[in-house]
Amino acid sequence: MLATHQLRAGYGSVAVLFDVDIAVGAGESIAIIGANGAGKSTLVRAICGLIPSMAGTIEKEGRPIQSLPPHARAEHGVAVVLEGRHLFGELSLESNLRIAETQGSKRRNARFDFSFEDVLDLFPFMRGRLGAPVGVFSGGEQQMVAIGRALLLKPDLLILDEPSTGLAPKVVREIVAVIQTLRQKGMSLLLIEQHIGVASECSDRAYVMSLGKIVKELDSTDWHDQSLLAEITQAYLG
Amino acid sequence: MTLTLLVQSVLAGLTNGFVYGLIGLGIAVVFRGARIINAMQGDLALIGSVVAYLIAVSLGLPMILGFLLGVVAGGVTGFLVDRLMIRPTAKRRGTEDSFLLVTLGGAFAVSATVLLYFGRDSYVLPGIGGNAMVDVFDAAMRVHAIWLIVISTGVVLALRWFYAKTAIGQAMLAASIDPEGALTLGINVGWMRTMTLALGGLVGGLAGVLVAPLINIQYEMGLLLTLKGFAAAILGGLTSPFGAIFGGVILGLVEALAVVTISSGYKDVVAMTLLIAIMIAMPQGLFGRRGRLGG
Repeated sequence: MLATHQLRAGYGSVAVLFDVDIAVGAGESIAIIGANGAGKSTLVRAICGLIPSMAGTIEKEGRPIQSLPPHARAEHGVAVVLEGRHLFGELSLESNLRIAETQGSKRRNARFDFSFEDVLDLFPFMRGRLGAPVGVFSGGEQQMVAIGRALLLKPDLLILDEPSTGLAPKVVREIVAVIQTLRQKGMSLLLIEQHIGVASECSDRAYVMSLGKIVKELDSTDWHDQSLLAEITQAYLG
Repeated sequence: MTLTLLVQSVLAGLTNGFVYGLIGLGIAVVFRGARIINAMQGDLALIGSVVAYLIAVSLGLPMILGFLLGVVAGGVTGFLVDRLMIRPTAKRRGTEDSFLLVTLGGAFAVSATVLLYFGRDSYVLPGIGGNAMVDVFDAAMRVHAIWLIVISTGVVLALRWFYAKTAIGQAMLAASIDPEGALTLGINVGWMRTMTLALGGLVGGLAGVLVAPLINIQYEMGLLLTLKGFAAAILGGLTSPFGAIFGGVILGLVEALAVVTISSGYKDVVAMTLLIAIMIAMPQGLFGRRGRLGG
């Protein structure tokens, strides 16, 4: 579905990511964990094109996308919920969703065909609040709007950057439930998390990042082994 | 003061107000859609009026053709301003202040070009309905001024509809509110900025052909219009099309009343004092958003 090979990227002329190799298979949910400043968000920004790649490749289903402008990558089925959510705060909930719906309608024959109604079914709280500006929503609600907006792009791969950060435990459970629903539907997911428990629960395998490099790959046995996770937390997330 | 004099000055203020408002409208369109303060807005009007003059007066072609091509010339100039000035500046990580400076330079360049080819003379562009007047409560008003008000109002309503109801208008708003968020949705943010400047150019060209019959075309008119238009747009909150026209009308009326009650020499002093007072009391402008929403 998505693979990076020897990816190098950063800001200006300063590299932050070094030779990153990751792969997300079709229908797989992959987590990337690491401490603050490990380069997780930089990797997300490089994959969706908000920062240019300096070297290496990014392939979506075998097709190189690293030289495409960021707006073209959405059309290739890569949707991202950025850290900080980046909603259109002064526009209404309905406008936020309709803008994404219009963009998603450009993708024909998409594997996952989320409609406006499907998103409202996934997030029932939205029904009564379509006219309200999303800027007044709570953090958890905004996170859900951002996920709903990304789904309307009908992506094959959804990238979620720190979806649980700063949210109350109850809201985190709701987000986890939505992620599990998407996994059951067979959507490919790339999940960036600092919260190792949430990450382990929502994904099949994981990569550990430190100082801009992938330092460890965890297969599904390791990734769900609680004692090993405790060691990794100690070593890389402490 | 007689009633006729009062009505006359209100009519004059209203007309001037819509002139300022129409320039302010272009400034608001560009600021709302691209976060750029376009100091060339008055010069886009100058270009529109010069093109209309060349076609309708110099070449003697039909007036309506001159008007239309004047508007188009504004739009094309807006497009070129983005491609030749804004885009290269943005590529080098220019900020809002560098865009303002670049367009300010462009304003002087347009003015100097008109000075070079047309000299210091002023030129008269015939208005809609020629110089015909209508009586309003014993006071006289040019038919053209009424058209100016009607067309400006129509343009404001059309812009409101465009931004609220069309997919492209919504995408333009999205691109300016959160460029990164818009990019991740597949919106071509650079193209939205180009179209915003072209749209601002069309409004500027329209302002030119509508304003020129009232104030005469002259190489210096651009920057003067920009200043008044900017004041109108700020009064209206800088992002609201409706607010820009409303701000312009307030400015025009206050100026007109200052002329009849104090002296014509003080009209700018009175108008700018009002602007300062409003900005101190309501920094968001009369129609601005109340604070920033969201993270």
